Amino acid sequence: MAELQITGLSRSFGGVHAVQDVDLTVADGETRGIIGPNGAGKSTLFNLISGHLRPDRGGVSLDGRPLDRLPAHRRARRGVAIVFQAARIFPGMTVLENVMVGAHLRASAGFTAAVLRLPAHRAAERRIRELALDSLDRVGLSDRAEDPAASLPIGLQRAMQLARALCADPALLLLDEPASGLRAPERERLASIVEELHEDGQTTLLIEHDVAFVSRLSDRVTVLDLGRVIAEGTPEQVRDDPAVVSAYLGTGEGAAA
Amino acid sequence: MRSAGVWAVLAVAAATLALPLVLDSGGLAVYVQVAVSASVVVGISLLMGYAGQVSLGQAVFFATGGYTAALVSQAGLPTLAGLLAAPVVAALCALVLGLPLLRLRGHHLAFATIAVHLIFLAVVAQTDALGGSTGLQGIPLLSLGPVEVSTNQGYAYVAWAVLAVVVVVARNIVRSRPGRALRALATSETAAASSGIPVGRYKLTVFAVSAAFAGAAGGVFAFYIGFLSPGMFPVSMSITYVVMAVVGGLGSVWGAVAGTALVTVLVHYLGVLGTLGGMPDYAPSVLTYAVYGLVLVLTVLFLPHGVLPSLADWWRRRSGAREGRDRAGEEEREAAPA
Repeated sequence: MAELQITGLSRSFGGVHAVQDVDLTVADGETRGIIGPNGAGKSTLFNLISGHLRPDRGGVSLDGRPLDRLPAHRRARRGVAIVFQAARIFPGMTVLENVMVGAHLRASAGFTAAVLRLPAHRAAERRIRELALDSLDRVGLSDRAEDPAASLPIGLQRAMQLARALCADPALLLLDEPASGLRAPERERLASIVEELHEDGQTTLLIEHDVAFVSRLSDRVTVLDLGRVIAEGTPEQVRDDPAVVSAYLGTGEGAAA
Repeated sequence: MRSAGVWAVLAVAAATLALPLVLDSGGLAVYVQVAVSASVVVGISLLMGYAGQVSLGQAVFFATGGYTAALVSQAGLPTLAGLLAAPVVAALCALVLGLPLLRLRGHHLAFATIAVHLIFLAVVAQTDALGGSTGLQGIPLLSLGPVEVSTNQGYAYVAWAVLAVVVVVARNIVRSRPGRALRALATSETAAASSGIPVGRYKLTVFAVSAAFAGAAGGVFAFYIGFLSPGMFPVSMSITYVVMAVVGGLGSVWGAVAGTALVTVLVHYLGVLGTLGGMPDYAPSVLTYAVYGLVLVLTVLFLPHGVLPSLADWWRRRSGAREGRDRAGEEEREAAPA
């Protein structure tokens, strides 16, 4: 169960209104596409949801419980997982270890259990490893588990980050341009993973530049421009919306769609 | 390969136990010094290498441990209680200091920890209960139950036993859920927080753990030397610890021990060289300071991952070359420019 509710969310940097009075409701199990030209406030919106930025006004709640007072790591505990646009890998670790970090929340053995090698530590390690291997399998990275994370090409680093996010068993998954820089087969692979997640009832927010890609995967699409919501609806409705055409598709970027 | 590692550890352990029996008094003093310093340096390696935090004030926690052990013992309590209290009090000090300090990063944190060091020295010098600038005299010998540790050999074993505990604790932390979390937050606090890791609390915890290591070492030092004064803990001491950690290889527990041994032994024998007849007065200090600088520069230039990890890498590559091409290594080089 995860319903995301955003009301009147605003955040500005200096004089720039990055996100302005955004209202957004995402139903449980929905895949919601977020599109908009560069600087529309998409990534800022994600950072406000995940707790990496504080809003000036407005609120975010998940299943009716407000997240506003919680720092990022507590929101993760509530089930918010984010895959960043830039590759945020832990380069000194193996692929498996990177993903195991994502399962941090799924166990609770802390420093004392680790130092004294208590049974809780062993149980946690076993469980975390299993969860991480499952996640790697899900994104098709099982055979690279023991490789250094930095040795993966950029597309697979994205997949690894997705595995890390999935490892936490998130209620709400935030994907920030997961397909950018991917080659066609990797893009297909990603699309099918997102589709599988959708079938499993995962609530997902998907920022993407590629309108065709986002239209194919999303139940509904929200269009941002200059920090405001300018349109919302099914992919078809949004595509035909005159405001969207002038603000976004008119730039030529969406011509392929 | 694994059994070779076990044999290596056993051989090192046997040599560690045997050395105090054969070393002369000068050598034994260096030997104790290595174990005492290495306990501090393992903590720094954990702090800098795993949690990405810089401390140039680690000697403060070393001194805190020393003064704690001394005061507890002089209050008539068992000396062992003093030795056990040393890491606890040092860790508590780190928690109190860490709350404001760890909000700082990089150079700011480094400067703030130096400032803490200077303040500490000034405060101790003015505090009569701590012996002021003349220091605390007459610290009793350490007693382990009925056995009084009165020889330098005895202190060598105590110091290395403390180091062994420190190494085990550090390795157990590194290879665990919180250890992975620390390595994660050292590279990206944002990504770590997104995985639900309480970044601030973990940084504070590892700061306290590193202080506990330094405090334990300070406790051993207090009983071994028998007196303490603020002049024994100059800022250069904190810097030396960092140099040792960097030389050994940040984030490598054994590297910390190796780096400490290397720098300590080198500095000691250069000191000996500097005080030979015919050497000018300034020779000892010039030689030792020059060595810090030179060793640090050479390490950073040629062995940026530290002495021990570089050696281990070289060894792996050699054995890897025999088995054929090392796939991971190849790809790592390919991915490097990206």
